[in-house]
Amino acid sequence: MLTGTIFDVREFTVHDGPGIRTTVFMKGCGLRCSWCHNPEGLSPFPQVMKGSAGERLVGQTFTSRELATRLNQQARLLKIAEGGVTFSGGEPLMQSAFVAEVIDQLNELHVTLDSCGNAAAEEFMRVASRCDLVLLDLKLADPQEHLRWTGCDNRLILHNLGLLAATDIPFIIRVPLIPAVTDTDQNLLGIARVLAALPRHPCVELLPYNQGARAKYAACGMEWRPGFDENIPYRVNLEPFKEFELEASLA
Amino acid sequence: MKILESSRVTGGNEMLELSPRLAEMKHNIREGKHHRFRDADTPDLVTECDAEHLSWNQRASRLSRRMCELERVIIEPDERIVFTRTIRKVPPLYSESALRALTVGRTFHELGPISNICADWGMILSEGLLARKQTALSTRERMHSDAAAVEFLDCAIETIDAVLTLAARYATAARKCGREDVAVILDQVPGFPARTFHEALQFLRICHSVLWLSGHYHCGLGRLDQYLWPYLRDDIEAGRLDYPAAGELLAEFFISLNKDSDLYPGIQQGDNGQSLMLGGVRRDGTDGVNPLTALVLRVACAVALIDPKINLRVSHDTDIELLTLAARLTRLGLGFPQFSNDDVVIPGLVAAGYEIEDARDYSVAACWEFIIPGRGMEVVNIGAASMPSAVDLAIREGLAAGESFEGILDRVQFHLVEQVKRLAERSRKLFLPPAPYYSVLMDGCLENGCDLSAGLKYNNFGIHGAASASAADALAALKEFVYDKESVEPMRLLRALEDNFANDEELRLRLREKAPKVGNNDDRADQWLVTLFEMFAEACRAAGENGRGGGYRPGSGSAMYYVWLATGHEGMQEPVVGATADGRKSGEFFSSSLAPSPDVLVQGPLSVLQGFGKIDYKRICNGGPLTLELSDGLFRGKDSLRKVGLFIRAFVESGCQQMQLNTLNVETLRDAQRHPERHKNLVVRVWGWSGYFCELDEVYQNQIIGRHVYGL
Repeated sequence: MLTGTIFDVREFTVHDGPGIRTTVFMKGCGLRCSWCHNPEGLSPFPQVMKGSAGERLVGQTFTSRELATRLNQQARLLKIAEGGVTFSGGEPLMQSAFVAEVIDQLNELHVTLDSCGNAAAEEFMRVASRCDLVLLDLKLADPQEHLRWTGCDNRLILHNLGLLAATDIPFIIRVPLIPAVTDTDQNLLGIARVLAALPRHPCVELLPYNQGARAKYAACGMEWRPGFDENIPYRVNLEPFKEFELEASLA
Repeated sequence: MKILESSRVTGGNEMLELSPRLAEMKHNIREGKHHRFRDADTPDLVTECDAEHLSWNQRASRLSRRMCELERVIIEPDERIVFTRTIRKVPPLYSESALRALTVGRTFHELGPISNICADWGMILSEGLLARKQTALSTRERMHSDAAAVEFLDCAIETIDAVLTLAARYATAARKCGREDVAVILDQVPGFPARTFHEALQFLRICHSVLWLSGHYHCGLGRLDQYLWPYLRDDIEAGRLDYPAAGELLAEFFISLNKDSDLYPGIQQGDNGQSLMLGGVRRDGTDGVNPLTALVLRVACAVALIDPKINLRVSHDTDIELLTLAARLTRLGLGFPQFSNDDVVIPGLVAAGYEIEDARDYSVAACWEFIIPGRGMEVVNIGAASMPSAVDLAIREGLAAGESFEGILDRVQFHLVEQVKRLAERSRKLFLPPAPYYSVLMDGCLENGCDLSAGLKYNNFGIHGAASASAADALAALKEFVYDKESVEPMRLLRALEDNFANDEELRLRLREKAPKVGNNDDRADQWLVTLFEMFAEACRAAGENGRGGGYRPGSGSAMYYVWLATGHEGMQEPVVGATADGRKSGEFFSSSLAPSPDVLVQGPLSVLQGFGKIDYKRICNGGPLTLELSDGLFRGKDSLRKVGLFIRAFVESGCQQMQLNTLNVETLRDAQRHPERHKNLVVRVWGWSGYFCELDEVYQNQIIGRHVYGL
């Protein structure tokens, strides 16, 4: 049986899929998005966070059975609330075998994968094929820009997007609106172009940028250097998507 | 519930906004502009009644009469539902010494006068006061040889006449100032049955106000959407009224309920029991949800004041649209609606001896206790058993005696039984003073020639089991470390409890951080919660008859006891509880009603629902809500209201009995402490009621800021 490292299991989440959900935040991420709001999810290892309320160890190890048991205990309430379980992070695909093993032990729960898609195709599909919904982040269309802002190009992500679009697994594309980084007309148009070329058109959700990551960085012993001006209001432009007849909305 | 079209459930989906007229009225009332009318004299009742050698009954009706007579008539040009109170104080009926002499060996409940019950408003509105008078007269004829009955009925009639005279004076004055619209309504009500929604509201306004004038308090409004719906339905069908116009009238009525909050007695301002119940089934078991149910929710959203306090009955088949609408009100952060689960409450009431039709007709008292409008003379909160005290005494005694864990549990049971016995003994001395006016509004008093204070169909007393989660946590920590793991010597724990962990911070942290806690759906803690309530229910059952033909109903509320048990209060018999085995230091607050202990880490709201869902509520029918605070951030996002609606559905599924959802933003509350002038209208839920945050004592403010907030 596999074990996984998790930095939070949050109940009553409402932004990560249909209905009321319990979201499992998997620790570890291959990207280093400069705006990341979960710095405690970056490292795959347990770490100590020092906040105003004192120290706290972040990163708990579960066997797949332990986690599945805990999630299954809530199955009745999650089902009545039209929800289920969401795997988020960090990047859940960094622990894809573990996540897949947990999903296999779930008691007919609706499962959502919330991922940036940056994983080998095999790992991506291993989890995605077990899910009822995939929320796939697409931050930047241009590979160079992607590299610049996330530390990694988007080659794997776009490849996995293509694979996903060729299946019948429901999916939604989510674009975080980072002021003057991802919210530019050029980027949104680029994303729309990529999506329009897919064999089936996904819905697009634009995620508003929220300030407030700074304190968490300090607690993780990291420096908050977003590299863009947080105080510029993010722009919401749905036109590029409309142009390609894609359904888009602000989440 | 049957499948309902959305418009039938919600009476239209658009949200209401206060008209400029009502916005102004609300503003003026919040500013206290109507206080300038409060210049009428308080009658000197004692002198008058002593001179005439009046009995208690006669004094009570004289009070209603004099108050009605001395009330000045106020008709503001913008009002369509009239009555403004002008007498500030309700005078006493006896001098203090006379009262003492009359009640030797007896105790009063709280302030004395009958409170915290609910009239049969539906009956009153449909019969009219003149028909009630006729009933009183027929009974008087039938029982003419029964002096006590005759005196009671004469007193009841005196109060009816007083209310009718007051209404007639309002009608005359209205005509004089050219308000024929007001006068015409007052020609009809409250003497004759209401014919329209407007008449019903005016009827209710006057009769409810006179309850307060007669010295009663926590005057409930009952199942408002049930008893007012026939009037609204008829108006709509006849084309006299549409939903927006009905909403306008209802909003004015709601605003009027806030006029005198500052004159009402309560622990803190806002604790005034003007609660109403929505939804649920009818007496015959069919679905009672109607368009007025939704209209009340929408109007309450628009009015956004502390009164009336809204309760909503829900069950496994409550329409998600209604739940979503309720969530809209939750989002405002007023701390209501409070939800009660018909699937749990009704069987609980039946198990406690209520007839099924009555059980289906339940409403709430001021805060959360389940009562039957018109049919109960119950005293739902005669006191609280201190669960932390029972557990703490048992632990200290048991540790000192080197006892087994089972031995300690036996002691817990013993102490709970003793506490309930003491409360019960005291309650048998309870004296309920005559209430001729309230009797007019109840079922059977006039018919039987018997005052309300002598009892009605249901006469139970309620006792709450306060601070249950903290008490369960203490048992869980004890079991885990002293008995299961044997990692803590009994004497070490005892010493630490005695000196408030002054020399053993390491132990305190272990008890606090590493022991199982209620709130995590962890049987190692939850089983003691279940056990404590079983013991408590048993103790209430064993307390027997209450001297009034009722028994003792156990509940799970804590009212102000989460503070009092920790810090002491003159109004409380139980001792202050010092440091406890869950690692809580002396002076720290306990859990409030049903909620995890303050400051313990919990998995989240679903685990909380599941943990508290384990309690056998069939035996705990007095009520007392699971209390959850939601971050206002949860409400950002397009589907958020519906999702909170789904959470209410999960609450029903979990088998919990009653739930308060409070929406708050901790930063806003902190800012309100620093700058009260900027947050005058900030409303929060305190325990069974909502009040203005800036008008609360700091201790209650801080408790609210320290609660568990979900959805951050």
